[in-house]
Amino acid sequence: MRRATWAGVLFLALVGSFVLSIWLGSVELSPSEVIAALSGRGDPTNRLIVVQIRAPRAVLAILVGGGLALAGAVFQALLRNPLAEPYILGISGGAATGAVLALALGLVASHSWALPAASFAGAILAVVLVLRVALAADDRVDVRVLLLAGVVVGAFFAACIAFILSISDARTVRSAVLWMMGSLAGADWTTVATVALYTIPAAVLLTGLARPLNLMAIGEDTAGYLGTNVESVKRTAYVVASLLTAAGVAATGVIGFVGLIVPHGVRLVVGSDYRSLLPLSFLAGAVFLTLADVVARTVLSPTEIPIGVITAFVGVPLFLVLLRRSMGGGQR
Amino acid sequence: MWLARTRGHRDALASVLRLVRFVNSWSVSFLQLSTCALIVSHLACAGEAALPERDASQFPSDASLEAFPVEVVDDSGVRHRFQAPPTRIVSLVPSATQTLLAVGVGGRLVGRTDYDQLSELAALPSVGGGLQPNLEVLVSLEPDFVVRFEGESDQATADRLTDLGIPNFAIRPDGIDDVLSSIERLGLITDQRVAADALLAEIRGDLADVAARVEGRPRRRVVYLMGGEPPWVAGPGTYIDELVVSGGAVNVFDDLEGLYGPISLEELITREVDLVLVSDEGGSPDLIDVEHKSIPSWVEVPGPGLGEAAKLIARLIHPEAFP
Repeated sequence: MRRATWAGVLFLALVGSFVLSIWLGSVELSPSEVIAALSGRGDPTNRLIVVQIRAPRAVLAILVGGGLALAGAVFQALLRNPLAEPYILGISGGAATGAVLALALGLVASHSWALPAASFAGAILAVVLVLRVALAADDRVDVRVLLLAGVVVGAFFAACIAFILSISDARTVRSAVLWMMGSLAGADWTTVATVALYTIPAAVLLTGLARPLNLMAIGEDTAGYLGTNVESVKRTAYVVASLLTAAGVAATGVIGFVGLIVPHGVRLVVGSDYRSLLPLSFLAGAVFLTLADVVARTVLSPTEIPIGVITAFVGVPLFLVLLRRSMGGGQR
Repeated sequence: MWLARTRGHRDALASVLRLVRFVNSWSVSFLQLSTCALIVSHLACAGEAALPERDASQFPSDASLEAFPVEVVDDSGVRHRFQAPPTRIVSLVPSATQTLLAVGVGGRLVGRTDYDQLSELAALPSVGGGLQPNLEVLVSLEPDFVVRFEGESDQATADRLTDLGIPNFAIRPDGIDDVLSSIERLGLITDQRVAADALLAEIRGDLADVAARVEGRPRRRVVYLMGGEPPWVAGPGTYIDELVVSGGAVNVFDDLEGLYGPISLEELITREVDLVLVSDEGGSPDLIDVEHKSIPSWVEVPGPGLGEAAKLIARLIHPEAFP
């Protein structure tokens, strides 16, 4: 009951935030101008703004925001650690190392796809490295080893970034810092299509793992007795959630807080049943990032605020209120 | 304090902070380098002669000299063909904006960046920063010519502009020749060749005058500090290095790899230095006991003020050559 209600509310919010996102911007457009532009009529400049700039950006925000929140929820379930977020296992470090390397080697100047490709490759390298370390210890994936390996690999990549930046020139440093702050400004339909190619199948697959993740929340052994192939669930969840994160990071850089705060917020409202938590986290993350992006590009227009600033400024107080309320209500 | 700082740098946390500071300080230098556009006010502050007044109307449009279309290659190697001179221009590079004003086409500018603060541009809408302009504002201005900065970071912006059908001309004013060439090309494209030639002749005249005055004088060993901690300097290939050399000096850090970069304080202390030039927001001015002179920030705009900048730097290095 409750789940369906929340799903309905969030879906409406998603539609609303999408509409806001293509309506509001640095250039003032009336609703009728936006509708004309969407239907292929009206002023060609407005059409360019709505169809080629705002719309891909709104869709990318939905995909990346939803993906990060869903990946965060899965990592929190998998690692049984409330501090887990999509980047905790070194993915952001790997992606950033790839991006910085591509910038430092000057690959980005000649090929605009080099940056996302290199950061995606870096993220995958981090994922493989962490999994190899976690599996080397034992044939089973021990989530504590996985967590430790992830944090250590992340620290190693952070050192790589510091090293590459220290021997790079100023322009590389500046681009790298901008990239690491995260932005949706580069969104075009090609990026959207690439990210969708990863996000949609990954989201479907992960949502399908809700039942085994529920059982594993009771205990891995119990889940095993009840017929869950715990090992395969852990590996699938880890690899797919990582791929999902990597696709987002490659397209937008590192956007913080969405993957940490949104799943916790959803959990505080609807409880810990992953069958509700996973899909609702996706919806809530999508709404949250879309709205954050609207704020990021309109508040100081024409200058854009890094979107990570907005996700933290809005997300943290919101989360603290939810946390306090739930404590007061005696839940959890 | 020196020691404390060195020791502090060994600490991992401190080095992260240093990285952040270094990036911050760099972006300040960057603002000075290619974006600070306070030429007029700074000239007044520094008590220097103001840039020569240029009245656009004194130069006739010179379509008669060479009929359009013209073909011009930009600094990313792309060949652009112009059927007619552009009429709605947005320059994302403040030094190029000043060049456009100087050749008399300020009236065709339809936008500016946040870093263009000349009063004659204040009424124009801003597209935000020049490196990552706000695309939707830029599109809404309907420019038929955008000047952008050519650099490692900017391929994405360039590709987006091209995708959106906005002609974008890349310039990268690293050395003096690059600056002169960009002035020449912008003059050609905007059909203001006469004005551009006059401006070029004036800059070349200033450079020749400076060269004649410092000729035969002892070459002083000069460090040009651009601020930051550790301080940044300009290496070979930059107009700053060339201005220092043309002013009758040796750039002490002419072995720097890359155009601009940080130097270690130990290097600064151990190298033989006669004079330190410190740009407005420069730091660490009192580490070595030699003469320090301050450089106004308008010098660090590689545009039409280049000739004045050459004279100013030469005068600071060899005051006796400018009685």
